[in-house]
Amino acid sequence: MTIWIGLLLVIIGLGGGLAVGSGLVAFITVLDIIPRLTQLTNARRFIRAFEWSLVMGALFFTLIDFFHWRTRLPVFLTSIYGALAGVFIGTLAAGLTEVLNVFPILAKRIHMDGKLLYLLMAMVFGKVTGSLLQWFLRL
Amino acid sequence: MKQPMFLRLRKRLAVKPEALITMGDVCQIYWDGEREEAIKRMPIYRVKPQDGNLIIIDIMQVIQRLRSAYPEVELDIQGAPQLIVEVLNPKKNANPVLVVLVWLLLFVGSGLAIMNFHTDVSMLQVHQRIFYLITGQENKQPLWLQIPYSIGIGLGMILFFNHIFKKKINEEPSPLEVELFMYQQSLDQYYIQHENKENQRTKV
Repeated sequence: MTIWIGLLLVIIGLGGGLAVGSGLVAFITVLDIIPRLTQLTNARRFIRAFEWSLVMGALFFTLIDFFHWRTRLPVFLTSIYGALAGVFIGTLAAGLTEVLNVFPILAKRIHMDGKLLYLLMAMVFGKVTGSLLQWFLRL
Repeated sequence: MKQPMFLRLRKRLAVKPEALITMGDVCQIYWDGEREEAIKRMPIYRVKPQDGNLIIIDIMQVIQRLRSAYPEVELDIQGAPQLIVEVLNPKKNANPVLVVLVWLLLFVGSGLAIMNFHTDVSMLQVHQRIFYLITGQENKQPLWLQIPYSIGIGLGMILFFNHIFKKKINEEPSPLEVELFMYQQSLDQYYIQHENKENQRTKV
């Protein structure tokens, strides 16, 4: 492998990383997950820290994935990871604008403006059930 | 010196069918402190059955009514130029069958959507990979990770919509409430434009 091919690979890798990284940040920004979480926890002062946590998380998991940094920790730790990952995916799913846009219209059509909570719980239980079914039945 | 009469239209008004709408219903009035009570009782519109459930009252109607009673009055008008009257029809309750149907629809649909998402992003492979990286064991079905993950999805959604900490932490509305408000506001804008006959005129 000549130096030129190596240089080309570095440029391709860097470019790809830049595109994917900014894309990831843009995606999470669009869904307003971070403002929502800071609003819930009254942690507006720490918003910079949350930004960094996002960047470090992306970097860390890329590194352990690419370089196979394997550990031999007890199995129950995966449950902690699973719960955190689940909450994140939950906020992601809830933040998707399809959900937010469909609800007001649906609620008004069937005159349920006051009982949105029920409709919301339908979606929540649906997601949990769908997810569990998928893992148990190996769909 | 003559005192101007200050008046300000309300934004929305909800009335019963065939109600008589008075000046006090549609606007706040301040004049000289004495004659307001009489003005507030002045009728301005009687709701008719053929009006449907939305009526727009324009500021011009109000001005006309006031001027015909007090020709000399000087008006100082504040706020929006029209008011939306919503006629509350009694039989507008949610149909329980429909509600159950919609509930099931959302339940099944969101379950399907999350499964599609998981397949789309190869979530199972990622779970297996993470499980291997943490524990050093291969596992085709890492349920230790996947069950908390699934419950977490539900918790995350509830967290996002703020139904556990409702009004406990702060007074800010949840995204859904904001979205409902925006939708209602767009509807109101539409009504004001389309239901108010004075807003459109085609001259042929």
